[in-house]
Amino acid sequence: MNTHRWTALLLGTALVTAGCGGGSAGAPAKADLSAPKDKSGTLTMVTKFADPKYAPYFEKVVAAYKAANPKVDIKLEQVGDQPYKDKIRVLTASKDLPDIYFSWAGDFANKFVRAGLAADLTGVIGPDTPWGSTFAPAALKAFQYNGKYYGMPVDLDGKYLAYNKAVFTKAGVRVPKTFEELLSACDTLKSGGVQPIAFGNQYGWAAIHFITQLNAYDVAPKTLETDYAPATGAFTDPGYVTALKQFGDLVSRCGTKDANGLSHETAQAQFLSGKAAMHYLESVEFDVLDKSELDWSFLRLPAPAGAPGDTNALTGAPDGFLVNGQSKNAGLAVDFLKFLSSKENAATMTKDIGWLSPVKDSATSANSYPQLTDALQDIGEAGSFAIWLDTITNAEVAGAYLSGVEGMLSGSRAPEQVMAGVQKAAAKAKKEVG
Amino acid sequence: MTVLRRWRTWAWVLPAVVLLLVFVYYPIADNLRLSLFSWNAFSPEPRFVGLDNYAEAFGDPVFWRALGNNAAYAVVSLVFQGGLSLVLAALLEELVGRRTRGLLRTLYFIPAAMSITVVGVLFSFLYNPRYGLLNEALNGLGLGHLARAWLGEEGSAIWSVIAMSQWQSVGYTAVLFVVAIQRIPREYYEAAKVDGGGPVRTFFSITLPMVREMTTLVVILTISGAFLVFNEVMVMTAGGPDNSSQVLGTWLYRKAFMEDDMGYAATVATVIFVITFAIAAGQLAVSRRRRYDS
Repeated sequence: MNTHRWTALLLGTALVTAGCGGGSAGAPAKADLSAPKDKSGTLTMVTKFADPKYAPYFEKVVAAYKAANPKVDIKLEQVGDQPYKDKIRVLTASKDLPDIYFSWAGDFANKFVRAGLAADLTGVIGPDTPWGSTFAPAALKAFQYNGKYYGMPVDLDGKYLAYNKAVFTKAGVRVPKTFEELLSACDTLKSGGVQPIAFGNQYGWAAIHFITQLNAYDVAPKTLETDYAPATGAFTDPGYVTALKQFGDLVSRCGTKDANGLSHETAQAQFLSGKAAMHYLESVEFDVLDKSELDWSFLRLPAPAGAPGDTNALTGAPDGFLVNGQSKNAGLAVDFLKFLSSKENAATMTKDIGWLSPVKDSATSANSYPQLTDALQDIGEAGSFAIWLDTITNAEVAGAYLSGVEGMLSGSRAPEQVMAGVQKAAAKAKKEVG
Repeated sequence: MTVLRRWRTWAWVLPAVVLLLVFVYYPIADNLRLSLFSWNAFSPEPRFVGLDNYAEAFGDPVFWRALGNNAAYAVVSLVFQGGLSLVLAALLEELVGRRTRGLLRTLYFIPAAMSITVVGVLFSFLYNPRYGLLNEALNGLGLGHLARAWLGEEGSAIWSVIAMSQWQSVGYTAVLFVVAIQRIPREYYEAAKVDGGGPVRTFFSITLPMVREMTTLVVILTISGAFLVFNEVMVMTAGGPDNSSQVLGTWLYRKAFMEDDMGYAATVATVIFVITFAIAAGQLAVSRRRRYDS
C-alpha cells in the first residue's frame, strides 16, 4: 500500500523539481577586468554554435589560445540555437552561469545586465578604448544599455531575401523594388509552377523575422523604441496590425500553407534544390548557398509603398558574448575575447565559416565571396538595425508574438487578435519591470 | 533489548527517510511556496503575489487547452494501452502458434525499448508534409485530400503526437498482459472449451476477470503517464503551433525557461502534482476496497 503512496509522491516530485531553483542575486557587477599578470586558471564558455558548420571554428580558436597560454584551461560548451534559449536560463537559475556566454542583442542581453550578471565592459570595449576602436561602432552599440557597453559583438548579421537568378530569368521576373512588386512577382512565379518563397516556421522565429522587418517599415522608429522596451510597451499603433496583414498577404501569395510543419532547414533545402525561387535567411547562412551550385543574389525584403516607418532599417543585429559579472576570472575572460576578436581570428572566421565580422577590415576579397562583400556593404548602408523581435522584446511579449503568428499562419487568428495577445503580454511585462 | 532493537530499526530506516525528506517532501513544499511568488532566474527578489499565479493560470485558455490535451492523451491511451493491448495479448496467447508468438512479442516490444527522442525525430520525418511517408502513402492510396502538415496544423498536431505514443507503448502493455494471461490456470480454458465456449466468450468470461489486477496497474500507469507526458511533445512540436499541442509539462517548461515566469511554472507544477496525487490516491482506495471484498 505504501509503495503506491511513495510512487505518487515521486511522480509529482519529478515535475516539481523542474520548477525549482533559486533566483540569482542582483548584486551590482563589479568584475575585475584588468589583464591578469599571470595568465592561469579555468575559463568556462557556452555558445549557441553547436552546428557542425560553425562549431569547429570556435574549437580552433580555443585550442590556439590554450596553446599560447598553457596554464589556462577553457571549458567550451556549444549547444544548438533553440536549446540555448532555455539552457542559459537554467544555468542562470542554478547560479552556474559560465564566465563567457553568448547573447543576442536587445532585451535578451539587457535582462542579464539588469540582474548584475553581465560585466560592464565600457572601460575596455567602449568606442574610445584601443580594443573598442577595432570594432564597427554600430555593432558595439547593439550591446549598449543605459549608456554602457556590455557585450563583444562576434558577427554581423543581416536578414535578406536570397533569390535564384536562373529561376527569376526563366519566369521573366525582375528583382522587386517594393513590397507590392514582390507580391506580384510571387503570382508570376506561382503561375509558372515554382514555389515563390521557401518558408519553414516550425519554431515560430522564421515568421517573426518577417514581422521584425515589416514592423520597422510600418511603425515610426520612436514608437517602436517605446514599445520594445518592457517598461513602456503598449503596442497600440495601427502599424503593427498593418505589418501582420502584409505578412498574411506575403504568406498566401508567396509561401505555402504547411509552413508551421516545416523546419527552416527543410525550406532551405527546397531553395537549394531550385524548387523555390526565394528564401529569407541571415547573412551568416550565406556560406551554405556559396557552397552550392546555385547562381544566386539577394535583396532586402522590399518596403511597402508609402510605409511610415524607417524604410532603410535592416532586420539583423550582431550576436555577441557577455562576460559574467560575478566571474572571478573576468580579466582572463576579457583577454580571451580580445584574442578571439583579433583581426587575424576575425578574418579566419569569415574564411572558415563565412560570417561577417564586426572587426574593421577583416573581410577582404581573399577570404570572402562577392555576395558576402556586398552584404557587408549593405549592412554598412543600413540606417539602423531592426533587432530580432523575439530577442529585443521582453520574453513574454516575444512568446505572445511567436504563438500568435503561428495561429495566424494556421488560420485560427486574425491580425487584430494576435495584437490583442501581444498587448496583454506587454501589460504584464510592464507590471513586472515597473 | 527492545529499546536497542527499536534503535537498530531506526538506524536502518533513517537514511531513506532523510533522502525522502530532502528530495521529495522539501521540493513539494517549496514548490507550493514558490507558486505564490512572481520571480524568474534574473529577478533579485521573489515578489509575493498570493494566489495571483493561480488566478492567472485558471483564466488562461492555454492552461485549459494543455489540461484538455493531457486528458485526451489519457483517454486515447486507456483505449489503446488498456483495451487494444489486452486484446492483442489474448490473441497472441490463444490463437498464434508458439514460434510466431515469440517473434511477434519481440516485434511489438521493440518500440518500447527505443529512446523517446529517437522515436520523436523518426516520426517527425514520417509526418513531414513534403517528403513524409504518411502523406506519400495517402497520395499513393488516392487519399491525397487527407494529406496535411500533421505536426504543423492546430487540428492534428496533438493527435499526431498521441498516435506516435500509442505506437510506442501498446507493445509494452501487451507484454504486461501476456504475463498476466500466462498466470491463468489452463484448466479454466479447457473447462470453457468443454462447455462449448468460443474464443470471444472465453475472453470475456475468463481472461478479462482474471487479469483484473494487471488492468488496474496498466490503467494507473497510463493515466498518470498521460499527465506527466513531456518528451514526446517537446521533441515533435514543442507545444506549437499556437500552443495547440501544449500539455501541462511543456507549458510549465515554456513558462519557466522561455518566458521567465517561474512563479506561474511552479503553479502548473502544483496542479500536475495534485492531479497525479489524486489519481494515485484514488487507485489506492479502490485497490484497498477490492482487497477487503475478496
